[in-house]
Amino acid sequence: MKHWIMLGLAPLFLLTVACAKAPTDKLTAAEQAVNDARTAGAPAYLAEDFAKLESLVANAKKEIAEEEGKFAFLRDYEKAEQLLASAKADAAKVVIEAAKKKEEAKVAAVLAQQEAQASVKTTQALVAKAPVGKDRAAVEAIKADAEGLAASLAEVQAAMDAEDYLTAQTKAKAIQDKSQAVAKEIQGALAKVAGAKGKQGKTGK
Amino acid sequence: MSHSRPVPRRISLAALVLVLGMAACVQKAPPELVQAVETLDRELTAAQGAEFAPEEYAKFVEHWTAVRGRMLAEPDVIRLPWEPNRLVADLIKVQEQGVLAVSTATQRREAERQQAEARLTQLEERLQTFTGNLDTMGGRVVLGQRPVETELLAKQARSFFEQGQFVRSQRASQQAAKLLDRQIERLGAELGRYADERRVTAWRNMVAQTVTWSYRHHSAAIVVSKADRRLFVYRNGKAVASYPVSLGYNGILEKRYQGDGATPEGQYRIVRKRDRGDTKFHRALLLDYPNNQDRRRFLQARAAGTLPPNASIGGQIEIHGGENRALSETLGCVQLENRQIDVLFDLIEEGAPVTIVGALGLSNAISLALAELEQTEEG
Repeated sequence: MKHWIMLGLAPLFLLTVACAKAPTDKLTAAEQAVNDARTAGAPAYLAEDFAKLESLVANAKKEIAEEEGKFAFLRDYEKAEQLLASAKADAAKVVIEAAKKKEEAKVAAVLAQQEAQASVKTTQALVAKAPVGKDRAAVEAIKADAEGLAASLAEVQAAMDAEDYLTAQTKAKAIQDKSQAVAKEIQGALAKVAGAKGKQGKTGK
Repeated sequence: MSHSRPVPRRISLAALVLVLGMAACVQKAPPELVQAVETLDRELTAAQGAEFAPEEYAKFVEHWTAVRGRMLAEPDVIRLPWEPNRLVADLIKVQEQGVLAVSTATQRREAERQQAEARLTQLEERLQTFTGNLDTMGGRVVLGQRPVETELLAKQARSFFEQGQFVRSQRASQQAAKLLDRQIERLGAELGRYADERRVTAWRNMVAQTVTWSYRHHSAAIVVSKADRRLFVYRNGKAVASYPVSLGYNGILEKRYQGDGATPEGQYRIVRKRDRGDTKFHRALLLDYPNNQDRRRFLQARAAGTLPPNASIGGQIEIHGGENRALSETLGCVQLENRQIDVLFDLIEEGAPVTIVGALGLSNAISLALAELEQTEEG
């Protein structure tokens, strides 16, 4: 009798032992790897690869959820594990590549920022020399432009602080271009006035 | 012994057939198919598949990852000859999904590119129209730093576009367009009076009174139209001359306080003629600014708190020439060429009226420029 009971319980025991467990540790590890990639700047600098990572983890989660909906002894997490393993392995590569690209973008942005700062400084120095009497409206407009350019440098810094180097670089480049145009305008005005004679007067308050 | 030999030969033959049959049925992924899928994967990255075809891309990634995993895990799965090669079938499916994802992403990316380009082109055209009209109006100073901020955003939008960052390009274009809208609104608030029928009628009445005065007194009188940037000389009620003039650096605005660069509007009189030696501006006609109306307006503005602290009403508004026009500084005066002020100086008497108005009619340069700008508004 005892023998028969043992024989009946054996398959049940085997089934219980054979029940697959959800790969929560692997999921956590893969999610951590994706987070590392995010921190490394992958969403901005390696968007496609990062999206692929997210897609892998999302699919793995979907797969786990589907398997969890099945009877315990029918669950198979192999596919989910495969996806998570891919995500983790790819994430490690993405972290390195994204960090590299981010650093490159940072270097380019820092250079563009320095050039923009130098350009604005030159323009401001020229504005101080601008011939106040020469079309005062134009001079006031130039002054406003120079002030605007100087103020926009803060936006470059804000983008740098936010590690958005692409925005920082394009903004800095735009500032530099405009700054050079303004400087050219002032130099033209200075050249015109250089030959002019007479005193400078002032009325109309 | 001879009858026992054919048996092993038969066994060997059967074994050979079995081995050959089994070898022929090892499930392998054709390299050209794998390569084709790998190429699609790269194409999808280039086409920004994750951004432009997220669903199709996700399906492709899911299946491609699974198949790749199987290829690595089960390199030599043996199938029976009558069984289909599931790996090949799955790879073909992945390839189909990849083709669909690439096509979708490419189409959507192209649509996004076209949209970004259209927005950018529209912005750049608007900006050109805006700058042109702003110069026509002389309203550049009114807007302070805003025009340069807008220009920087437009440059950024162009830069993003050239880098294939279409979404960012559109975002920058939108920001610039909003900034343009706000500037147009500001111009409308500051200069709307040039298109205000009641205001223009009032200006016309002021001009008519000045012309009538000239007729009645058989004398010369002056009218200045700020929108036209022109000074008209009337004698015996008839226009006898007109000259182009420069105004204060913020001349198109209504004068509110000293140093705002605006040229006053109103009915004034010449209180003093300043000849050579008496002025730094060759010759000058000093006006009685501020008159009572100016003072009243100034006090009201001060009471309403709309003036800067310690603002004063100012004075010394003149019609003048200049030893050198390029070197003279006008903060609200009306400036002429020296030879023109010479004519005027001899023609005009102290006490003669000088009426400065915004415009002589509703279809003036500023109202037309404003209307054109308002037509380009997006909001």
